[in-house]
Amino acid sequence: MSDSHEHWLKQIDAELDGEMSLAERALLAKHLANCSHCAGARASQLEVRVALARSAGDPHARVVPRPTIRGRALAFWAVMALAAGVAGGWLAHGRWGGPGGSLEDSRAAIVVH
Amino acid sequence: MRRSSSISACGGFAIAALLWAAQGPGTRVTYRVRVVQDGMLELARGSVSGPAGTDLRFALRDDTAEVEALFQIVPEGDTVVVSAEFFTKRRVNRSRRGLGLWEQDSYRRSVRLAWGDTARVHLFGRPRPAVPRDQGLWVQVVLVRGFSGGEGRPAEELEVLDSTMDIVLEAVVRPRRARVVMNLVRGDTVSGPRGFDLVPEAPARRVQMAMAGRTTTLEIGLARPEPARSARDRVLALDADVVCLRIATPEVAQPVGVVCGRLNDVARRLPLPGGDTLVATFAWPAGR
Repeated sequence: MSDSHEHWLKQIDAELDGEMSLAERALLAKHLANCSHCAGARASQLEVRVALARSAGDPHARVVPRPTIRGRALAFWAVMALAAGVAGGWLAHGRWGGPGGSLEDSRAAIVVH
Repeated sequence: MRRSSSISACGGFAIAALLWAAQGPGTRVTYRVRVVQDGMLELARGSVSGPAGTDLRFALRDDTAEVEALFQIVPEGDTVVVSAEFFTKRRVNRSRRGLGLWEQDSYRRSVRLAWGDTARVHLFGRPRPAVPRDQGLWVQVVLVRGFSGGEGRPAEELEVLDSTMDIVLEAVVRPRRARVVMNLVRGDTVSGPRGFDLVPEAPARRVQMAMAGRTTTLEIGLARPEPARSARDRVLALDADVVCLRIATPEVAQPVGVVCGRLNDVARRLPLPGGDTLVATFAWPAGR
């Protein structure tokens, strides 16, 4: 039963995003006519989207676009951040000797020339 | 058998002669010191010299760090072992209320070198090879020995070229003898001064002091002070030139009192049982 609801909730999402064909919308309408739970969920979704559209300054929006991050872009920026961190750490260690250094390194040393 | 005993006797004489040459009263030790920053900026230079057994007390202070060290040497043939006790303080941060938070450390370093060699003491650790210009702050110490020419007093010389740092070079010599000058005082009457050359830990000697036609007999003896209570004072030998004069009277078995002081000609007072006050000053003995 719950799996069935999960399926229809995804269908509601897709409908509100404008991603469904006419046949699929007809099937969803038929289900909504008989399922008060899914009808309520659809109404809630619509209210949330109206609120988001208003806050975005477009109360007449047909759909609210979702923020999407593509996988490649995410990987690119992760690699860039990692490289910047490694380079910064390398330079800082060379300049200041790391965060505090070991106690023995900070102690006096006698070298004979 | 006789041959081997004569060889061993010759060897013993040779070792004794070497020890005498290295540590005898005719030997004088000189520490030549330079304080250098970043390998080229000289902050201070000076020297400390004195009879064999003279140590060097070094201190460097600025707003963010303090380094104190006592350098001691032990001659071994043509080489010398330099040991140094370090006490350091470094400001690592500030508290929420704006006060400095300091990190304290103490440790010992030791190295063997030949007379005339240069020892470079990197005060805040060895320079890091990853940073070509990172020379840090170092102290160059050159040890030289020579004949004293009859001069037994320690000598210090320091020229500070950078006034932003407080740099101290001091000779640390434990006196083998001390000049003690004593007076008796009662009201406005003062006895004539009497001076004695005393050896620490030697048996007490009986002396007589005359004041206003009356003679007072005292037994006096010189002793080293009790070891300093703090490890820093003890290791840096801050009481090296302090002696204590023990006073006793022949009638009383227990000492009447003890007066301690540096060899700096400052008068110390000790009330005696009869109502007199003993005033004693301590000084380095005159050169012989």
